[in-house]
Amino acid sequence: MMKWIGALLLLSATTWVGFELARKLNDRPKQIRQLKSALQILEAEILYSQAPIIEACYNVSKQLPHPVSWFFKVVSEDLKVKTDSLYEIWKKNIDAFWPLVALGENEKEILRQFGRTLGQHDFVQQQKHIQLALTHLERELEEAQDYQYRYSKMVKSLGFLTGLLVVILLI
Amino acid sequence: MLGDASILFQIAGIGIVVAMIHTILKQMGKEEYAQFASLVGFIIVLIFVIDGISDLFQQIKSVFLFRG
Repeated sequence: MMKWIGALLLLSATTWVGFELARKLNDRPKQIRQLKSALQILEAEILYSQAPIIEACYNVSKQLPHPVSWFFKVVSEDLKVKTDSLYEIWKKNIDAFWPLVALGENEKEILRQFGRTLGQHDFVQQQKHIQLALTHLERELEEAQDYQYRYSKMVKSLGFLTGLLVVILLI
Repeated sequence: MLGDASILFQIAGIGIVVAMIHTILKQMGKEEYAQFASLVGFIIVLIFVIDGISDLFQQIKSVFLFRG
């Protein structure tokens, strides 16, 4: 009796690990898309509303779904209360924010380099930098979709099968 | 050893699961991992039956070489 309960626990644990990895693979393209729309909203805020970064980030955070909106909200709040430069705050918040999302190192680097250009140029240059970041994100999005398509199913079945193998070995 | 058939079923189960892992990995284009998984399955089964094999060899030795 105890043996079967243990086997069931082990099997469900490895299956869960597989599903969790697959969820991470599925979340990555979704969050890259959210990041892209965030940059587009930021572009509109800067070019047409001519809002300062604090307001622009706050408006972006209001219009986006959860994980990505936190980042812009915290940046906006930090800019209000702290005296550090924009890039310092941006970088610190990226580091704090990254464990919460399924995004990879490449997106982090793209976002970090975009933060270095933010607020340093006139409208035309700023728009060019936003477009550059969007192009990079588009490339990452394609790669992430490719990964999702290829590996998410495999990871799920591998988790289950590994559990089954271990159960058979231990019985 | 012959009286206990459960080890046969266990080995058959390992074989089926390893074959499925092999097929999935191969389908997804990870040939080298598929080979590795098969190798690991084979080694596990070998460890299971190594006592039986050594028994068998001792028997053969004692029958044909009049020793041990």
